[in-house]
Amino acid sequence: MDTTVPQRFVVPIGPQHPALKEPGHFEFTVDGEQVTGASVRLGYAHRGIEKATEGRNWVQNLYLLERICGICSHVHATAYCLGVEKLAGVTPPPRAQAIRVLVAELERIHSHLLWLGVAAHEAGFDTLFMYSWRDRETVMDILEALTGNRVNYSANLLGGVKFDLTSELTDKIYKGLELLEERTYQYVDVVTSDATLLQRTRGVGVTTREQAEQLGLVGPTARASGVERDIRVEAPYAAYPDFPVKVVTATAGDLEARFVVRLQELFEAYRLIRAVLEKLPPGELQARMPRKIKPAETVSRVEAPRGELFYFIKSNGTDQPERIKVRTPTLCNLASVCVLAVGSQLADVPMILAGVDPCFSCNDRMVTVYSGDTDHTQWTWKQLRQYGIDYYRR
Amino acid sequence: MDTQEALKSAEALLTGYASTRSEENRLDGTLAPENLCAVVSNLVAARWGYLMAITGLDQVTLGQLEILYHFGAGAAILTLRIPLPRIPIPSVDSICPIIPYANVYERELGEMFGVEFRNSPNTDRLFLPDDWRSAVYPLRKDAVLNEE
Repeated sequence: MDTTVPQRFVVPIGPQHPALKEPGHFEFTVDGEQVTGASVRLGYAHRGIEKATEGRNWVQNLYLLERICGICSHVHATAYCLGVEKLAGVTPPPRAQAIRVLVAELERIHSHLLWLGVAAHEAGFDTLFMYSWRDRETVMDILEALTGNRVNYSANLLGGVKFDLTSELTDKIYKGLELLEERTYQYVDVVTSDATLLQRTRGVGVTTREQAEQLGLVGPTARASGVERDIRVEAPYAAYPDFPVKVVTATAGDLEARFVVRLQELFEAYRLIRAVLEKLPPGELQARMPRKIKPAETVSRVEAPRGELFYFIKSNGTDQPERIKVRTPTLCNLASVCVLAVGSQLADVPMILAGVDPCFSCNDRMVTVYSGDTDHTQWTWKQLRQYGIDYYRR
Repeated sequence: MDTQEALKSAEALLTGYASTRSEENRLDGTLAPENLCAVVSNLVAARWGYLMAITGLDQVTLGQLEILYHFGAGAAILTLRIPLPRIPIPSVDSICPIIPYANVYERELGEMFGVEFRNSPNTDRLFLPDDWRSAVYPLRKDAVLNEE
């Protein structure tokens, strides 16, 4: 072997849970421990949802789109509902809009606490992971009590929401928030003072403000680098005009700043939820929606827990959409991993990856099932169903 | 910046091209493919917002495939519309030399709609499997997806 030629070592990470329990494939070129190049390959959880929307009616699509993501399902449904309502010229009642905000903020709490656990786990701090997921159960219980579901809450309807708040539920939320608030102070203290965690986060994966803008980052990832980008503030939707949000930013741009920004956003979420509960407008829960929508197109943007979620919706005069385009925040943020990882230590890569809070199922929207090594054809629904039945019979 | 002010400055940047206010907070500009890079450069130089997404629209009856570049500045949205013929495979200049992060959006659009991006730094598949049949673009209206 000619030893004078430098060897290029490629370390494949994924598709089986690279850092997270979701599929994505990365290839890192390394020189010793240092990463010199990176590339990404997605699609392992792609389900063809954009295509599927074109064959379903407006109501059916609400349930389909809500299932793009199990973590931020409400925000997908909200973006879709707001867009379709705009196309149909329907204004949902103020009470419904306020309840949408309430659920969206509860969802943000659950998502950020989930991320805190995952990121702590990646850093090898499993105690923090277990504490944060235990406390997350508080908000999961609230969501279940409100909507009947822990995930895919299905709170939205076209033209409004499905459920109302009772005084019992309100008490439960206040009580839950009290506990969560107390715990969040503790978490802020831990992530800014624990020496072992700080070794994994402080000064790691630094993204400057300029880089964040050039990379097109969104959400808490961008805000941790000082970019004040938040759709709830820039283009308030639903009831956000009545319940203004204070943007939380940090300037350091490292992983520690991302921890701090997400945790500070929790306090903002608690404040917003209390404000909504105090000033919940009275009235109806749903406005009447037409079945067919005249040809038009619109853009609907909302702030998901991970950043800006973009929907482009085009109607064609029937009860089915002509085209629905979904651009999730993870796609914006994931590409940055390939840039940020270059120059860092290979061991820091999982943390950098977890730092953007990627959500692969949001990103991917189609699946091909292989029935063995030789037969690489797509399965029909019937075949897939039969496979499932046979598998569990064995 | 105020939404209407932002839209006015976008209109000024689009002088010489057909543009319409499609919604209260939206401006649509229709461009020929050869003008795309020049307009995008102007937007970036003027620091007008950021690229939010690239959408493909397959319009079979018109025989065209439209590419929509959505830019956002606050609540204002500017959409650059590039109508292209559906057949043969349409091609357009990549905007990656101007906005590097557009690459993932272009790769997604390229494989889903069958659009070729000239001068793109990376045209590898992003979402579709490696053994996906060539020349099958799933988000085109006439794509045949289930071969039984």
